[in-house]
Amino acid sequence: MNALDLLLSLSALMLLAAFLFGQTRVYPWLAGILFTGQLVLLAGSDLPMAAGVGLEIFGQQVGWQLDGFGRYFALITIGAALASNVYMGGEWGERYQADGHSLRWLHAALAGNVLAMLLLLSSKDLIAFFIGWELTSWAGFLLMAQGGERALRAALRYVPYAMGGAMAVLGGLVLTLSWTGTLDLLELSRVMSTLGNGQLALLLALFAIGFSIKMGLLPFHLWQAPAYAEAAGPGTAFLGAISARMGLFALGILLVKLMTLSRVADLAFIDGLFTARDLLAWVAALTIVLPTFTALKQNDARYLLAWHGIGQGGYMLLGIVMGDATGSAGGLLHVFNYATYQAALVLAVFAVMHRTGTADLNSLGGLVTRMPLTFLVMLLGIIGLAGLPPMNGFVSKWLVYRSLMVEGRPLLFLMTVIGTLGTILSVYKLIHNTFLGQLRAEHEHIREAPWSMTVPMLALVILAFVTGVAPGLALSWVAEAQAALGLPVLAYTLGGIESPRGSLDMLWIVGVLFAGFGIGALLFYGAGGRSKRVHQLDNYAGGHFLSADVRYHYSDHFYAGLMHRIGPLYRGSFTWLESAVASATDLAASLMQAWYRQAVPALTLLVAAVLGLGWMVWR
Amino acid sequence: MSTLQSIPVVATKAEKPSGGTGNLLANVFDELTAFCRSRSLFMLHYCTGCGAIELPPAMTSRFDMERLGIQPMVTPRQADILLVTGYVSTKTLKRIILTYEQMNSPKYVIGICSCTVNGGMYWQSYATAKVLADYMPVDMYIAGCMPRPEAVISGLRELMANIRAGRSDNWRDYYRRYDHYLGNQQRLFGENWQTPTDVIGEARHYGQFGPETLGEHTALLERHQTPLLPFEMRLGLGGEKTGVENKGDKR
Repeated sequence: MNALDLLLSLSALMLLAAFLFGQTRVYPWLAGILFTGQLVLLAGSDLPMAAGVGLEIFGQQVGWQLDGFGRYFALITIGAALASNVYMGGEWGERYQADGHSLRWLHAALAGNVLAMLLLLSSKDLIAFFIGWELTSWAGFLLMAQGGERALRAALRYVPYAMGGAMAVLGGLVLTLSWTGTLDLLELSRVMSTLGNGQLALLLALFAIGFSIKMGLLPFHLWQAPAYAEAAGPGTAFLGAISARMGLFALGILLVKLMTLSRVADLAFIDGLFTARDLLAWVAALTIVLPTFTALKQNDARYLLAWHGIGQGGYMLLGIVMGDATGSAGGLLHVFNYATYQAALVLAVFAVMHRTGTADLNSLGGLVTRMPLTFLVMLLGIIGLAGLPPMNGFVSKWLVYRSLMVEGRPLLFLMTVIGTLGTILSVYKLIHNTFLGQLRAEHEHIREAPWSMTVPMLALVILAFVTGVAPGLALSWVAEAQAALGLPVLAYTLGGIESPRGSLDMLWIVGVLFAGFGIGALLFYGAGGRSKRVHQLDNYAGGHFLSADVRYHYSDHFYAGLMHRIGPLYRGSFTWLESAVASATDLAASLMQAWYRQAVPALTLLVAAVLGLGWMVWR
Repeated sequence: MSTLQSIPVVATKAEKPSGGTGNLLANVFDELTAFCRSRSLFMLHYCTGCGAIELPPAMTSRFDMERLGIQPMVTPRQADILLVTGYVSTKTLKRIILTYEQMNSPKYVIGICSCTVNGGMYWQSYATAKVLADYMPVDMYIAGCMPRPEAVISGLRELMANIRAGRSDNWRDYYRRYDHYLGNQQRLFGENWQTPTDVIGEARHYGQFGPETLGEHTALLERHQTPLLPFEMRLGLGGEKTGVENKGDKR
């Protein structure tokens, strides 16, 4: 039994264990140990890790093998699952069960997701890939559907999208087989780029649509935010952190490894002006901007973060589509970085929900005095999400920005900056409405979340901070992924990158930043360090005497001034498009039904049977 | 308050701290502090009455107060000057005192318009507090009905000069003779009168606690006062089980 076999068996074992005794107190400990073991195994093994077993289906070899690209995603997957597992292993899980939900199913869904993703990430050919893809989709559905009526409703919306995507991928797979005669990924990476432009364009369209749906790229993104936001807490964190990135993994394989980016750039809509690669870059850029500004309007903290999940995916794809060493490293690094702080942020929001019972940004406020650790997690998390030093989000976004500038794409750069602006505005809204301002009378007695919840959150933000100060730690994985994919490999240092056209050294940046804080602290404490705490009702409201029943926390219609300007731009076009497609499908289905069932069924059947028989005979 | 002489137009010069000859550098530092303080004044204008209409021209491009280092500020916590711009009704005075006590020391009060000096045209009104200086120490009056922007600016410049020379520290008076001011406030508002600010505690904090800080009026205050203590930052990670307690537990 070799390393990959062991990894997959451990994962399958965990799924079985979760089904059998996921509701017990022992299981989270066991799962924690097994996840840690998997992490160690993954990090310590030599690449590529090939599975000992393989199948043969209809003369096609089906096998599994994990390379640097897959391992990068697998590490993030298992890390996110570990954090979620610890989080729901304690008080959160007890409350979840007390509310009448099944913790066993939640653990099983999480373990199932990890197994499905590992199978997908280590696929060696398109059949194994498709099996993994479908398993991931259904495991994802299972995880989204946990946690009540609303979760199930949101998850059901994902089903038609997932099915449509799977059909597109399956179609692409069949065409690939008939045109190239092979489904082996290594073989395809040699053959596929030699196909004609028309064939390649059709394959690209089919595969890219299927993969974009999973990733939530425009215009297939509508299912994602509600499905992720309504899921059970740790499930939301896991889904948000890594689940949608399976689409990015698939797109990476397709665009870089199989088709190669230069071939994709040959598929021109307007010769020399606008190619399929530009189209992908612009889809990525629009995916950054539009969902981010949708997030700005959300009043539910979970939805706000879930919409950002869609938006941040755009940075990753944009980086990869740029295809140079810096840009693709930025895009890939963003997967890891984003997973660390997004999981932390989601867990923090659910910690607040655990204590207060709500994630509604209009009914919270002032929790910093009651949940200071959760506040710290959210503060560091939003600094990362907004892409500011010293957190790791800054590094990956900087790499993408730099690539866009160096490669001469100023308009795309502008789009990313607009997206970042929207991110900064909405994360400020998130922390302000939750933790700053007035503490409500009904929240005065609440306490900090228990250790089982704060420890995984803190661990994640510490990881995000450490890899922000020393991005070289994460960039070594990224460089390995780049090499496995066939991208130019980034020359990195511990503090960032070393380049004649502009280096980045986070050690210096963070050093200067903290020196600034140090000077401030010296001035403050040197001058006596005198400060005075006052009660929140000893506050200025135009001279009004405040009492506990007076609400002065400004949360409703946040950014009214900005919305006055950009409000008319929110037209719900994609929602309209979705409902239009749904109505059209509905209409077509009714017509079919009317024709087939209600008109003259016997005659219809007869005609169909005769035509079918005739075709078989003729053939 | 029947004679003009009893109106404190310019505050009296504070006594020189005795024995301040030892450290030269200490004086330099004080000088620097006074200079900086006089050059960056943030004012909270509590716009009562008609004098407020003269402030927009004083602040905007025509007279442009900001070139002197004087800017408006939105909260009392960060403000240095409290500008009371007209007649002070009994209701308004409560708010002005609340706002004044929320400001951090050193703080300066400017009364604009005759109404703040002696009631002005509201002299006979039953609902108007006539003399602002009875309820809080006033550093500068700018009399007139209403004073023009030039007068406002000239008054502010004089306040700057006073601060620079160390002549304007009436804020200490509020702490040193709190009982006197509180007595006047209680006479007007009734014996239940209180604000959230712990003025006596602040008097100790700023080192201004004196024999006249406490008295019969503060004793009366203590009887009625319900203190407003700040929320503690607390972790509350104690070992006891929490379960679903916060659903039913109401305080």
